[in-house]
Amino acid sequence: MASKKAAQKSLKLASVLDLNEASALHGKLMELRGGNIKIDASEVERLGVQSAQVLVAGAQAWNADTKIFAIENASGAFEKTMQLIGIDPNLLVAKEI
Amino acid sequence: MDMNEIKEIFFQECEEQLAELESGLLKLNDGDRDPETVNAVFRAVHSIKGGAGAFGLDDLVAFAHVFETTLDCVRSNRLEPTQDVLKVMLKSADVLADLTKVARDGGYVDDARSRGLVKELEALANGNVPAAASKAPEPVSVAATAPADDDGFQPIPFSFDAFDDEDDAAKGQTYEISFRPRRELYGKGNEAALLLRDLTRLGEMSIICDTGTLPVLDQMDPEQSYFSWKISLTTEKTQDDIRSVFEFAEWDCDLEVKAAEPASPPEDLPMVPVAFDLSALDDGPFNIEPVQPAVDEAVAADVEATDVATGIANMAAAAARVEKKEAASAAATATVAAQNAAATSTAGQTIRVDLDRVDRLINLVGELVINQAMLSQSVIENDASGTSAVNMGLEELQQLTREIQDSVMAIRAQPVKPVFQRMSRIVREVADMVGKSIRLVTEGENTEVDKTVIDKLAEPLTHMIRNAVDHGIETPEKRLAAGKDPEGTIKLTAKHRSGRILIELVDDGAGINRERVRQKAIDNELIAPDSNLSDEEIDNLIFAPGFSTADKISDISGRGVGMDVVKRSIQALGGRISISSKPGHGSVFTMSLPLTLAVLDGMVVTVAGQTLVVPLTAIVETLQPEAAAIHSFGSNQRLISIRNSFCPLVDVGRILNFRATQANPVEGVALLVESEGGGQRALMVDAIQGQRQVVIKSLEANYTHVPGIAAATILGDGRVALILDVDAVVGASRGQSLKAEMSLAATG
Repeated sequence: MASKKAAQKSLKLASVLDLNEASALHGKLMELRGGNIKIDASEVERLGVQSAQVLVAGAQAWNADTKIFAIENASGAFEKTMQLIGIDPNLLVAKEI
Repeated sequence: MDMNEIKEIFFQECEEQLAELESGLLKLNDGDRDPETVNAVFRAVHSIKGGAGAFGLDDLVAFAHVFETTLDCVRSNRLEPTQDVLKVMLKSADVLADLTKVARDGGYVDDARSRGLVKELEALANGNVPAAASKAPEPVSVAATAPADDDGFQPIPFSFDAFDDEDDAAKGQTYEISFRPRRELYGKGNEAALLLRDLTRLGEMSIICDTGTLPVLDQMDPEQSYFSWKISLTTEKTQDDIRSVFEFAEWDCDLEVKAAEPASPPEDLPMVPVAFDLSALDDGPFNIEPVQPAVDEAVAADVEATDVATGIANMAAAAARVEKKEAASAAATATVAAQNAAATSTAGQTIRVDLDRVDRLINLVGELVINQAMLSQSVIENDASGTSAVNMGLEELQQLTREIQDSVMAIRAQPVKPVFQRMSRIVREVADMVGKSIRLVTEGENTEVDKTVIDKLAEPLTHMIRNAVDHGIETPEKRLAAGKDPEGTIKLTAKHRSGRILIELVDDGAGINRERVRQKAIDNELIAPDSNLSDEEIDNLIFAPGFSTADKISDISGRGVGMDVVKRSIQALGGRISISSKPGHGSVFTMSLPLTLAVLDGMVVTVAGQTLVVPLTAIVETLQPEAAAIHSFGSNQRLISIRNSFCPLVDVGRILNFRATQANPVEGVALLVESEGGGQRALMVDAIQGQRQVVIKSLEANYTHVPGIAAATILGDGRVALILDVDAVVGASRGQSLKAEMSLAATG
């Protein structure tokens, strides 16, 4: 539980996660690496595959770091796109070990 | 066809879509729960959004998107279309119409209203999402329990069989599709997710995402393509249809489509069908580079390529209805060539023609009719027996001319539906402003009438509706106190009667307060204090210029001066308006309008040396009065006895002031006419010249309104003849106690 009390950073995803945003998102995740992260996906209206790739890679990285990578308040569009491209959004969560 | 022309077509289509939208929402409001109604409403908003995106109409796209998202919740049964929900949606339809109008004509929309509605729509969409589709509000902080690989990921199959799919292709061939996009695909503005979405529309689909090539975060290039998919699609479409989804991406991906064994689904795709709706993905600005040179302008509008292309294609297809060749070329620039071909092949059903062209044709046919009449007259003058070959030929020509005219008129005939639909918005808005609850019921919306009549009908009708809402219907409290339903009803009906269109506006409000109307008329010196007026005559006083009974000036119906303007507008159309009211039960406004403003079948008569035309539709029969049948009473009133009943005899020459004294009825001819009010009168004229179709020339437009005269025409011999306004003459004959000018206006 101790780690849960550790500093948790948050990131709010842009409403349009297109090609351009994929790079920006990658940069942000790289900066936030090392601690638990809470990602607010409530505003997402468009999710492109490349941003989804970054998020999946991010979740894997946090998983490797044994830190929490939590997507919260996923918008309908976010969930649907994830399902559409065959990614279970529930799997975009790294467990804390 | 340039972009502006396509844009104009888009706006024309918007009008149709908006009408469709409102019509569907009103049906839902009336309890219709047919999924097709919901789909039609959704499609209307979706089409507007798609086209608007193509032209960079961002405000329109943004609002339509939110609207569409909420409609999707209704479509997928996540949101019950209750009255409250539909109220928001009807208001949203109004805003969408405003935004469309502003996009077309410029101007401003009420931003605050628009923003408020966006919030309301979003609240509806969010508040009613079922648990299955909505995320718990708390952060998901526990790892999924599904079997995972070393990286915590397990490719999962999804089935999309619950999609709203117009093709509804649940049966058919199963195809195995392997799709691996390359970096260039994204670089050129395509989006794999959208291609997959388009695939789902072809049938029942299951998908597995291969994330195996995804590197670790530190080493990944965010613009590179790592994901690829294996898809199983069961569809009635062909392999070509499937490939056409990837039409513009085919060079930038590895694509394999092959038919699977029908009996055995692919073993490596253990599908777990998941009911799922993707309509929220139908939209959206993925920033993309121009995909097709031909649609550069459109693509610059920051909208996904497929919607842009489809929008252009649809518009091009619409254009094809008029100009097939141009449309074919436009269609070539769009993504869905096959769809275009289909659209073009059915293009023969309707055409969109510039109204000016139709009007020019109508004018020419009008001239043709006059010319033909003149020619006939000269031939008759030179061939008294009427048996010459020329004469016979002319009769055929006359028939042909008549058919041509009828056919041309039919082109201009339009249903009154669009005007009626506009009224429902007025009712909504005004009722909201005055805090009343009012339901508008419409009937006979498909009744057709000349487009000019429709166009000019909107303004007076709007005024009347506003009056009915503001003054006619009582507040809910008063209605409850009077034992009525707190919700008021306004009924708007249209029907054909006696060659005219009859429009009735009925409200179940308080009715006319005759005592107050009468007092006001006396105060305004419209009538003498000792006037003995019938209820009908008192009711009709509200049409007098400057008449107002409103205790206070309201923003909605102003000072109440509108009804005389309404009456003038209706008269200018060659129509009449009257009111009947029942205190406590409401009022009925009846408007009678000509079906066309262009031609008329008339009986040409002579009155005091003048040639007049009496509309044939008003005439029941003609008769030669005998002295014994004429009965006088009072100072100058006369009745004629017809088959044991008495009918007032009206000397047209006297009423119109063509002569100072009444003519001897026995020397003339009586035309038994039926007025809009239902009563019969025998109109005395000196002689009948004959029957013919005449081309109506407006007196209002060319001269001024003349009481008792509806319009004018040009006869075969080139002379101008006046067309009698039968109801006005009948009204004048019984409204003797009114002032001279009122006598014609009040009931006419």
